[in-house]
Amino acid sequence: MGIYVFLLTVNHLKSRDVKRAKSDIQENTLLLGFPSNGLVGIFSISYLIHHLNMKQIGEIKVDNLPPTLFVEDGEILAPIRVYSKKDIFVIISDIPFNQNLAEEFALEVYKFCKKNTIKKILIISGMETANQQEKSPKIYGLITHSILDNLLYSNEIPKFLNGSIFGTDASIISIFRKTKIPTLMLYAECHPFFPDPEASIGAIATLAKILKVSVNTTDIQNKIDKLRIQYRSLMEDTIRAAQQKEKPVKAPQIYR
Amino acid sequence: MSIKKDFEIQTVPSMIESLFDDIEHGILSPLLHLKEFDSHWMLEFDLPLVNKKDIKITFDGNVLNIEAKLQKKYSEEKHGKTMTFQYFKKSISIPGEIDNEKITAKFQKGRLVIKILKKIIGKSIKIS
Repeated sequence: MGIYVFLLTVNHLKSRDVKRAKSDIQENTLLLGFPSNGLVGIFSISYLIHHLNMKQIGEIKVDNLPPTLFVEDGEILAPIRVYSKKDIFVIISDIPFNQNLAEEFALEVYKFCKKNTIKKILIISGMETANQQEKSPKIYGLITHSILDNLLYSNEIPKFLNGSIFGTDASIISIFRKTKIPTLMLYAECHPFFPDPEASIGAIATLAKILKVSVNTTDIQNKIDKLRIQYRSLMEDTIRAAQQKEKPVKAPQIYR
Repeated sequence: MSIKKDFEIQTVPSMIESLFDDIEHGILSPLLHLKEFDSHWMLEFDLPLVNKKDIKITFDGNVLNIEAKLQKKYSEEKHGKTMTFQYFKKSISIPGEIDNEKITAKFQKGRLVIKILKKIIGKSIKIS
């Protein structure tokens, strides 16, 4: 699956109900997580939302996603939600994107960024590692704008130098590299086909360092096995979405 | 004073339950990944909460069966009900001719990797 990429094209997304949050700090940062290799982004971002006690401020709607809502303790949750605390914003998607949705999702995120004067985006994802038995999975950084070089350097994040990126990640990076908002992709070495919460621990620690917040990872360490069982279906859905191909558009009779 | 809940990932559950867990018998269906190489198949199962000694692997014809007992019961809430599981079980058919004598297995970090050699059939053709 490599770093994985299913080159996706996305059409229309609509953002709604995203309140413009007031911030007293200049440098608004957006964290972005969605299902991808090893579900690393989902585990890392969810953990930060919980441990930083972030509040949901809105949701993002993607027109072509099947209408889905989830009710937990009487609270209605949408699959793509926005959280914030001070100058940190989070967008998390519980739904994996197929080829028709990833780019659209990225465009919608970009709209959100402009509206909320986001200065940098941090995306957490997983990359297949050659040696899955290594004790601690490494984290690599890929930046879209050289202005973030210093962020890599000051946080001792090795640069992702060579490789291929396909699918959701590629679609999203392609959108952001054309914008003025610099983006850092944090890639954690992981098992690409199985939920890998262990790989997300390093990503959480790296994110905490970048954000200058303190996050204890004991909770997730204690739940690694349970999460691996609990998230089997989402992992399957993610792989299935990655393999989905856009239906070929039939040319009108006149052109055949 | 607010009481902080235990860390639970708040996500919308999967829309398609494709894993076919056997709720009645408390059996989980493990994730697996099958990869083909020139000379062999590599089959990997994700078996968290399992000890190596509690895994049984059998091969019958081209069908590989695995059964693994969990170290402790695993429970989850689904549709307002608590369901409890004690085993992982899966059978998978390996395509093509297999060399039954040359199957190896390794278990590390809750992942079972099985290497199955292909039977080389046919004769070599000399290039004139």
